[in-house]
Amino acid sequence: MVLLLIFLLPLFSIPFIFLVGRESKRKPGAIIVMFSVLDLILLLSIVPEVLSKGKYMESYYWMPMLGAPLTLFADGVSLSLAAITLLLIISSVIFALDYMEDSKSLWQFYVLIALLTVGLVGVFITANLMIFYFCWEFMLIPAYFIIGGWGYRESYRAAFKFFIFTHAGAVAVLLGIGAIYMLTGTLDIFQAKDLLAAAPQDFLKWIFIALTLGFAVKMAIVPLHMWLPDAHAEAPAPMSALLSGVIIEAGAYAILRVPLGTVFPLISDVSASNQILYTLSILGVLSAFYGAMTALAENDIKRIVAYSSISHMGYALFGLSLYPCVEGIVGAVLHLVNHAASKGLLFLNAGAIMKQTGARDISKMGGLASKMPITAFSTAVSSFSIAGIPSLACFISEFLMFMGGFQAGSSDSFYYATTTFMIMGTVFSLAYTLRLIWRVFFESSKIEKAHDPSLIMSIPMIFLSLIVILLGVWSGPIIHLISSANLS
Amino acid sequence: MGIYDTLTPSTILFIFALLTAPVLRIIHKHKKKIYRPFSILWILVIFFIVTVAIAHIWVSYFASAEENPFHQIFLISESRPVLSSSLLIDSVSVYMAAVYLVVGLISVLYSVLYLQDENRFSGRYIALMLMILGSVIAATFSGDLLTLFIFWEASAAGSCLLIVYRRTLKSIEACLKYLVMIIMASGFIIYGLSIIYGLTGSLNFWAVREALMKLPDKRLLITAFAFVACGYAIETAIVPFHMWLPDAYTAAPSSTSAFLSAIVDQASYYVFMRILIYILTPPQILNWPLALAIFSALTMTIGNLFALAQTNVKRMISYVCVADIGYNLVAITSVKPLGLMGNLFFFFVGGMTTALAFMAVGILNNLGLKRLDDFSGIGRRFPMTSLSLIVAVCSFSGIPPLAGFMSKYMVFTAAIEGGMVWLAVIGVLNSALQTGYLLRLVHYMYARPMKLKLNKTKREPRALLIPIYAFVTLIVLLGIYPSIILSAIYPAAKQLGLLLP
Repeated sequence: MVLLLIFLLPLFSIPFIFLVGRESKRKPGAIIVMFSVLDLILLLSIVPEVLSKGKYMESYYWMPMLGAPLTLFADGVSLSLAAITLLLIISSVIFALDYMEDSKSLWQFYVLIALLTVGLVGVFITANLMIFYFCWEFMLIPAYFIIGGWGYRESYRAAFKFFIFTHAGAVAVLLGIGAIYMLTGTLDIFQAKDLLAAAPQDFLKWIFIALTLGFAVKMAIVPLHMWLPDAHAEAPAPMSALLSGVIIEAGAYAILRVPLGTVFPLISDVSASNQILYTLSILGVLSAFYGAMTALAENDIKRIVAYSSISHMGYALFGLSLYPCVEGIVGAVLHLVNHAASKGLLFLNAGAIMKQTGARDISKMGGLASKMPITAFSTAVSSFSIAGIPSLACFISEFLMFMGGFQAGSSDSFYYATTTFMIMGTVFSLAYTLRLIWRVFFESSKIEKAHDPSLIMSIPMIFLSLIVILLGVWSGPIIHLISSANLS
Repeated sequence: MGIYDTLTPSTILFIFALLTAPVLRIIHKHKKKIYRPFSILWILVIFFIVTVAIAHIWVSYFASAEENPFHQIFLISESRPVLSSSLLIDSVSVYMAAVYLVVGLISVLYSVLYLQDENRFSGRYIALMLMILGSVIAATFSGDLLTLFIFWEASAAGSCLLIVYRRTLKSIEACLKYLVMIIMASGFIIYGLSIIYGLTGSLNFWAVREALMKLPDKRLLITAFAFVACGYAIETAIVPFHMWLPDAYTAAPSSTSAFLSAIVDQASYYVFMRILIYILTPPQILNWPLALAIFSALTMTIGNLFALAQTNVKRMISYVCVADIGYNLVAITSVKPLGLMGNLFFFFVGGMTTALAFMAVGILNNLGLKRLDDFSGIGRRFPMTSLSLIVAVCSFSGIPPLAGFMSKYMVFTAAIEGGMVWLAVIGVLNSALQTGYLLRLVHYMYARPMKLKLNKTKREPRALLIPIYAFVTLIVLLGIYPSIILSAIYPAAKQLGLLLP
């Protein structure tokens, strides 16, 4: 019952939002926060069982004729990602209470956020490909309207691009899922994994490619990244935080769970499987460099952060390409969690800066450190975490991935090369984050009046900063949780 | 189950159709005030009686479905006499009758309300709809090619009158086009049927099938089925015979387009499926799946490409209808239980979705919005209608959790299962293309500022939203919990196994 409740709880908030939404601008947000906190508590309540047994499963009657019972499933990976999703939703909705105060028809915004929550959490807690695809595509509609309806310049165009790109990716996924169903007669990933062993090898390779292609679009891996900078830059700040923090992470999670976890182990041809992993690894390096370089050249504060997301998805893909090396995978998953917290925070900060100064070009800012100390502090925490400075969240995960890379390199020297490139990439990460901080907060002041955002907006910023620091200095429990899952 | 049980639903519809025009006329003349509630009540009563009749068939069929899945009824004697007309009850026809009933009820109700907005007397129109519904239901229960042909032609002839209802120049042209096409088509079909009759000595599905399996020389058979398939392809509007459909659906009143796309179109796919799957399986008799696959790929692609180029929204939806035909054919080509399930699901869902789209566009058309440009910014002005149009659009695009997704999923999976991966790939690419232009419609509705200066008193007609939201509810419900329908069509899929060796 617990997982089903976690899955459907956000839906129950919609009638309440509808009831109070017409009178008050803040109450619907508060309702979402309440429901999400409840959801998070429920989610954390199954942590002990997952830690002891490795997984937690529930199954309900849904569509037996199509081999699709309503199987909900959680292991360490999905739990940690679902938890960070809910944390980020809570933070960005609190942030939105004040950030969006001037917008119209806010209750619709919150209804859409509630729908988005269903899709986002659902993606992480299911073991059935049909439900997975349901949630995967279900995210699109609310995301489209949130980006379009409440975004900045030409927001509907950006939303359109986002929708078309990810939907086109999703049809490739649909083909893959259809093929899996055709070969095995089931949509449950664990059963499918056992039954796929009898499938023709050629077919498996194509299924892998179709699935990975579809997921890579959402993950915004170069060369499929074109939708990301627009969508992330034009979305309202709370939505950008969710987009960069969770939605693209869902792509990485999906790659780990479906093509890598289910299909890949059955490809028995060693040279073919090596080729696949090499390609993933090289694409990871490319994305990391491309994102970092472009971020270094941009002047628009949100676009810098958006390009940095492309770069970091490159890191995650690199980590995944180390499959089946446990350090690499745990590092990649941990990186997803850490990056979600850091990047969500960074987008919230960017939103706060934009709201308080009215500018989005970093060359027109400067000297904000003394005027906006809280924002400066949390921006510093988040961007140094992104840059991989020790004692902050992303350092640990990057370190784990590089360790995994060297370990994989000891058996296959190809990985020495990509790992070295990745380590070099962190220098660029540091470069663009330092440039961002320098231009926005130091340098000579170009903005006369600015002050820290209101208390309500500051709370989630401080809260997420603390989480980023906490994940950096005391990452033991979450690594323990992630590695409790059966990853290879 | 006898012949009377089987024909009861159609007979009731025919009789009431004949009564409808005079009764409504009298009410319209003498008691104008109660005309509207009375006509709605009248329709509800008719449909209630038909529902009872179909429920009776449903229950008594499934009571003996285990030992007798294909229940044949002969009009003259129990053996298979040469030209005896026959009826067939199996799980497919029972299911289809129920589908027509549900979709028909909602779209007839919509028409009653919609035409009253146009302030014209609508008794004859409703009578025609009931007639068509009756003949379509009879066509599903027919057990031989000739009975099928007669009832099917009856419904096609009725459709002409629905299309020409407004008597504008354009609708007359469209109707004429349709009429010429179906007359040509029936010529083809009759010619093909006569060859089949000459070859096999019967037109009964089973008799023909058995005779064909034993037939040594297949050349004449190919000719015959080419004619029959060609004829039905014209009536189904498969590319390259699709030209009449967009014209007809654009010129007709929206209630007609909704009704035709939901009932007559689906019936034509049904006829296609019945002939191909139930007579020509196993495909070893004739290798039709490949030929059909090519046509379905063409139909999808051309339908979507033309839809992309349209600026008139109603015309765009008509081309979506053409594309939908392609998706339906994909499922037929697989000749697999899953494909049949996909087909039957699609008959219901696709019909509902196109009907929903036409209904929503119909409301907006009545307010004077026709072209894509006019739709700019209506999202906030007419929120309820726009929301229903979004549901239709998302269901067309196959976005879960709407029912359109489930049907597309089954159809494409069936294509992969049938060994036609290329067709599935073309299908999903088409699906992405379709999302593109349909999303453009949403983009216009929400992203752009209002262009037309509408009178402020213009509002969405509340009453029309009721049938529309009935469809919206069904689409969402079937998307989230498709088992309601799947459990009804699962027996049909299992019975397909009896036909395959």
